[in-house]
Amino acid sequence: MSHAATFAEHGRIYLNILIAAVRAKMEYKTSFLFLFFALVIYYAAQIGVVVVVLAKFKNIAGWSLGEMAFLYGIMVFSQGLTTLLFSSLNDFEELMIHGDFDRLLVRPLSPLGQILSSKFEVASIAHFGIGVTALWFGSVKAGVDWSVSKALFLPLVILGAVLIQGGIRLAVAAIAFWTVRNRSLVHTVVYSSKEMILYPVSIYRWWMQVFLTIAFPLAFVNFYPSYYFLSRDASGLLFHPLIQFLTPAVGVVVFAGAWALWRVGVGKYQSVGN
Amino acid sequence: MRDVAAEAASQVPGVAWPVVGALPPGARVYAKFTIRSFQKQLAYKFEYFVGVFNGLLFIFIFTSLWRAIYANLEAPPAAFDLEGITAFAVFAMIVRISMTQDDMSTVGKIRSGAIALDMVKPMSYFGMMLAECAGQTLFHWFTRVIPVLIFSLLAFDAALPRAWENWALLAIAWPLGYLIMFMVNYLFALLAFWFIETFSFHLMKYGLFTIFSGGIVPVDFFPEWLKPLIESLPFMYILYTPTALFTGHIAGAEALRLILLQGAWAVALGMACTVMWRAAQRKLVVQGG
Repeated sequence: MSHAATFAEHGRIYLNILIAAVRAKMEYKTSFLFLFFALVIYYAAQIGVVVVVLAKFKNIAGWSLGEMAFLYGIMVFSQGLTTLLFSSLNDFEELMIHGDFDRLLVRPLSPLGQILSSKFEVASIAHFGIGVTALWFGSVKAGVDWSVSKALFLPLVILGAVLIQGGIRLAVAAIAFWTVRNRSLVHTVVYSSKEMILYPVSIYRWWMQVFLTIAFPLAFVNFYPSYYFLSRDASGLLFHPLIQFLTPAVGVVVFAGAWALWRVGVGKYQSVGN
Repeated sequence: MRDVAAEAASQVPGVAWPVVGALPPGARVYAKFTIRSFQKQLAYKFEYFVGVFNGLLFIFIFTSLWRAIYANLEAPPAAFDLEGITAFAVFAMIVRISMTQDDMSTVGKIRSGAIALDMVKPMSYFGMMLAECAGQTLFHWFTRVIPVLIFSLLAFDAALPRAWENWALLAIAWPLGYLIMFMVNYLFALLAFWFIETFSFHLMKYGLFTIFSGGIVPVDFFPEWLKPLIESLPFMYILYTPTALFTGHIAGAEALRLILLQGAWAVALGMACTVMWRAAQRKLVVQGG
């Protein structure tokens, strides 16, 4: 069998697993809709907090309502895509504890592919809706001048942002190969940390800006690329202004690193005779 | 009835606590629940680290946010200067952590049916859950509130108030706020008698709490037209009120008014809890429980 055929074949199998997961969710149609409604209230409250602050103070560290909406839009939309693709990794601990990971290893499919297609997160649909709305509102309100290059760069930024956030989730999951339990890391690194990029990273002290750029590069998800789309003056940043174009590259590096860690983890797991 | 309760309490294993013995038998049984739940909490180490880390992270984010906003202002708003809003942000988060409650345990019991066992116990379910909740909270005081408080005093330019009035107001407003929060959680949890899936309700409650508790953005900064709505919801009496009174942001007659409103909310919610609990009992009987 040629490599391309295998790839297409596997893609079809993953799609079937995913469709099964969606069907399982849709079984409970009313609670599905109700959850969607609750998510909208939940996010409206999150946005409401920022809107109240902006209504009172006009801007946050020089970012207007429209610019803040744009910042939020990139974050939420890329988060939706990350959640859709990688949410099952947050429960990876369960697979380790119950030994269910062994079951995935004996199948002739990539274990990571099986995990990723095993769950369908309703929240991701809400993320897309909110993200698109915020991006649209933000770009109108802030008067974004959409050139061809900006329009082409946006999908690349989203892709980079997804790779960064997905890479972080993958790395956190991979750590469970050594520690078995990783729930506390999931909560702090995956869930809580994203609160930081609800606001422009420039509100933090310099050491935190450095940390969010180099060690834990969440600033690339929405903060730096927004400088390009919003045509903000990037000369006041701690780093060279070219940093606003680096999101896709940083995404590839982060994900490659996480993927390498995952491979080492799987290798270690198999070698100890599980 | 009282003897049965005391006997049940003596069979609950737990450390002997001198205070417990000094309490009247009716209270003793609830105190035992408090101790038991305190011990149970020790089992969840990871939640501990997450709790401390999150608390500090949020304090860091919000103090940074206010500093950045105030740096661009020509004159600070009348309600808070930078020092005042920093103290508010720090203590609002600490009050929030000090009120951590497990709002899912009743839901779990209703789903599993274990609630029927609690119903036949010769004591009030509400009292039992409140006592258990107090145990968890006590645990959080020692393990989260104190470390976060010490760290915050050192790192976030916040100081504890010196005047005894602030502490006295906290001693009244905190328990009332805690009780209101408990009862709101309790009412939401009882919804599980009627609905299979209650996660959505909790998500909504959490959203409403986030914005209307006045803990992230103080009520003072909300637009005037929204204030009547906020004042007619229970959330600001949970978080904003104890924090504003403790930090000295509100004092005198206004403080007294807020405390009276807290009391009124506690009474109203208490009645709502009773009504809903009775309805829930009927529902369970109808189902043949």
